[in-house]
Amino acid sequence: MISHRDRNAQRISALDERAEALHLKRDMGIADARAMHPSIDIVEADPEADRRLLEGLADWCDRYTPLVALDGADGLFLDVTGCSHLFGGERAMLNDILSRFFHQGFDVRAGLAATPGAAWAAARFCGDRIVEGGEEEALLAPLPLAALRIEPATRTSLESVGLRTAGAVMAAPRAPLARRFGALLLLRLDQALGRLDEAVSPRLPIAPLSVERHLAEPVTLTEDIERLVGMLAATLKTDLERRGEGARTLALLLFRVDGAVSRIAIGTSRPLREPMLIQKLFHERLAALEQDIDAGYGFDLVRLSVLASAAFDMQQADLTGETIDDGADIALFADRIRARLGEGAVLQPVTVESHLPERAVATIPFTEAPRRTTPPKKPDRLQAPKTIFPPERPIRLFRSPEPIDVPATEMPEGPPLNFRWRRALYRVTRAEGPERIAAEWWREAASDEAASTRDYFRIEDADGRRYWLYRQGLYGGASQVPPRWFMHGVFA
Amino acid sequence: MTPLDSWDALWNLLEHNRNNCEWKLTVMAMTAVARETVFALRRQIAKIEGTLPERLAAPAAARLDADVNTDLTIVRRGIAAALPDAFLPIGVERLDAALNGGLPKAALSEIHGTETRDAGAVAGFALSLTSLILRQTPGLPVLWIGTSEIFREAGFPYARGLHAAFGIEPEQLLFSEAPRLVDALWVAEEAARMTALAAVILEIRGNPQRLDLTATRRLHARAQAAGRPVFLLRQAAEPEPTAALVRLIVGSAPAVPRDTIAGPLAGSIGRPAFTLTIGKSRTALPGQFTLEWNPDERAFDERAGDERRGGERDRAKNPVPVVSLSGSGKDPAPASGAVLAFPAVGSPISPAAGDQPSRPQRAAHLGPRRAG
Repeated sequence: MISHRDRNAQRISALDERAEALHLKRDMGIADARAMHPSIDIVEADPEADRRLLEGLADWCDRYTPLVALDGADGLFLDVTGCSHLFGGERAMLNDILSRFFHQGFDVRAGLAATPGAAWAAARFCGDRIVEGGEEEALLAPLPLAALRIEPATRTSLESVGLRTAGAVMAAPRAPLARRFGALLLLRLDQALGRLDEAVSPRLPIAPLSVERHLAEPVTLTEDIERLVGMLAATLKTDLERRGEGARTLALLLFRVDGAVSRIAIGTSRPLREPMLIQKLFHERLAALEQDIDAGYGFDLVRLSVLASAAFDMQQADLTGETIDDGADIALFADRIRARLGEGAVLQPVTVESHLPERAVATIPFTEAPRRTTPPKKPDRLQAPKTIFPPERPIRLFRSPEPIDVPATEMPEGPPLNFRWRRALYRVTRAEGPERIAAEWWREAASDEAASTRDYFRIEDADGRRYWLYRQGLYGGASQVPPRWFMHGVFA
Repeated sequence: MTPLDSWDALWNLLEHNRNNCEWKLTVMAMTAVARETVFALRRQIAKIEGTLPERLAAPAAARLDADVNTDLTIVRRGIAAALPDAFLPIGVERLDAALNGGLPKAALSEIHGTETRDAGAVAGFALSLTSLILRQTPGLPVLWIGTSEIFREAGFPYARGLHAAFGIEPEQLLFSEAPRLVDALWVAEEAARMTALAAVILEIRGNPQRLDLTATRRLHARAQAAGRPVFLLRQAAEPEPTAALVRLIVGSAPAVPRDTIAGPLAGSIGRPAFTLTIGKSRTALPGQFTLEWNPDERAFDERAGDERRGGERDRAKNPVPVVSLSGSGKDPAPASGAVLAFPAVGSPISPAAGDQPSRPQRAAHLGPRRAG
C-alpha cells in the first residue's frame, strides 16, 4: 500500500488487491486505515520514481511505434497508425503488448481506437477493447463523465445539473454547454468522437530513418551487438543513398528482454553512411560504456536510427578506389575519440579578438567547418608583422592564474626581485615589462577584482626558466587594497 | 573511302611489311615479359606492404630498377623506415652528427624534463621540433594529447604563443585532454597510426606504471608504420626503459639579451634557449648541448661558451640582420647600376702569380700616368 501527503494528511494513494479485500479505499486517511488494520504495510509515495518508471516503459514501447507520449502520471499514448501490420494486426499487437507487460510484472489496461480520446476511455473504463472507427459514440455514451478527460470541477458541476454520463452530455445542446462549462468540454468531446484532430506529442523526436531487427534469440555479447550494428548500418546505407544524405547523429536502441532500453547515441563531424565506419564508432562507444550497459538476459530488439542527417557530398575516388582526403581521416579520428571519451575529448583553439590573454584563445570541441584544407602559404620572412614589436606570449597558460607571494619589488611599479610560487622560492635575474593590459570595462560588471588593470612582466629566474607574471592593481591607487601578484604562463 | 576499304589497305600494308613486323614483335614480346615480371614483383611488394600496387610510388620503383646492379641492401621496416629522409635534422651540426643524422622521423622519441617547472622548456623544445617537421609537411594538423593532471599542473598550451614562437597556426592545432592516463595512451595509439597528422605530442607527468615498455613499444610500432613522429613528453620523470630510440633531457638555459643596433640590450630576455642532454640514443655518446631557438628563422642555433654575454661573436656566427629588411614591401628595391664581380686578390681570375701585375696590365696602368 502506498500513501501520499495531501493537505496535511497522509492518505492512501494506491493499494493492492489484498488491501482492497480489507475494505480499504483510495483517499482514505492512513490513521483510519491503521485503526482498522494495524498490521498494514505502508510505503511513502515517490512520484519521481514513478515518473522514471513510466518513462522507462515509454522507452520500451518505442519498439511498437516511434510515437510514444506520456499521459499524466499513469498512462501512455502509442500512436500505432501504420505500425500494427508489422505485428500481425491490431488484435495481435494489443495482445503482444499486454502479454509482454504481464510477463514484466505490470498490470496494464489497454484500449485501441481511432481517436486518442476514445482509446483513453476504452483503456480506463472498458479494458482491452478495440474500438473500430465510427463506434466511438456507442462506446462513450454509457460511460461516466470521467471518461471525457475533463477537469474534476467541471465534472462535479455537470453532475450537479443531472448530466451523469457522456451520452447525456452528447445529447445536450452544445451552445449552453459551451457557455456554462467552457470550451474544453466540447473540445474533449469532439476529439474523442473524431470530429477534431488531436495530436499526440511524442516524447522523443522522431527519427527520420531507422532500421531494426527482432531477434529470436536474445544477444548479450558486445561483439554480437557490434555485428548487428554493421548489418543495420548496411541497410541504412541504401536509404541514406536514396535521400542523398549522410548521418550526423545516430542512436542505437537496445531493447532488453525484461523491458529495459539502452539508448546509445553518437555524433559525427561529417555526414557518414559507410557501414564499416558506423560500426567502428559504435565499437568505441560500446567499449566506453561496457560497464554501464547491463545485458541481463539479452537484447531481443536492436534498432539503429538516424536522428539527424545532412547532405552527403560524394567524393571522387581515384582508380585505386581510395579517396585522398586527410580531412576525412581527422574527422573520423575525432569522432572515434569523442565516441569513447565524450564530446570535449578533442579540442581545437579558436582565436578571439581580445586583449585579455585568457580570453584571446577559446578552445571549442572539434568541428569540421573552420578547418583549412589547403596548406597555408609558406611563412614569408619579408611579410610585414602586424605590429612592429609583437607582444611576447607564453606557450603555456595556466587555466586560472596562480597567486604568488612577492615580498619585495625593485620599484613600486617594477618587477619582483623574488617570489614564492608553489612553495618554492624563485629569484628573478632579469625582467621585461610591464605590458599593461586593462580590463574589458565594456564586458565586466564593475567588480573591483576584475576591473583593475594588470601589469605583465616577462621574467627569467636564476635557472633560466622564463615565466609570465602579472600584478593586479596598482600601488597607492584609489582603492586601499594592495596589489596582488599572479603567475599566468610559462615561456619556452 | 569506306571503312572496309581502309581495313583492306591496312592489311595490305601489313602483308607488305611482314618480315619487319615479325622482328619488332619479338622485341616487344621480350620487353613485355620483363615488364610482366616487374609488375608481378611490384604486386608482391604491394601485398607485403598492404597497399594496392598502383599506390606504390613510381620513384621508389624506379630506384629499385636502378639499384639492381649495385649491391645495396634495403631493409624495410614500415613504409617510411627505408626512405632516405628518415631522420629529422635538427640543424645543429654537432648534435646531428651525434645523433647520426638527426631525430628518427618515424619513431617514438622521448623528451624528458626533470621537474614540472621545466614544462615550458620541454614543451618548447618539442614544439620547435614540430615546427621543423611542419616545414616538410605544411598544413597538416598537430595533435597534443595530455592528461588533465599535466594540463592543470603545467598549464594548457596557448595557441597565440605557439603561433608567435613556432609558427604553428591555431587551425593546425588539436588538443586532446584525457581524464585518465589509460585514455591518453589510447588516444595516442589511435593518433600514432594516422598519416593525416604531422606529429603527435603525448605529455605525461611522472613515472606511471602503465607507461611501460609494452605501451611505448606499441606507440613506437604505430609511429613506425605511419611514418610520423610521436613525441613523448615526460615531465618530472626519471628515465626508465622504454621503446623510444632517443631520449633527450631538456632543461631551460638563460637567454641571451636581445640584439639591437647598439649591441645587446642589457637586462632583456632574448630567444628561448634550452640545455639538451642526450640520455639515450643508439648512435650517440651522451653529450650536452645548449641550443637556441630562433623564432624568426624557425631554426636552431648552437651556443657555446658564455651565454650571458652573447654579443659580437654570436652575431658573427649567426648573421641574422638586426635591422629588419624592408618594412612593408615584399621585395626591397634593387641597388642601382649593374652588379659586377670584382676579381679577388690571388683568385684564379688574376693570371699572374704573386702581387706583381702582369705586363699588359702594368702597361695599361702606367700609360695614363706618363701621358698626364
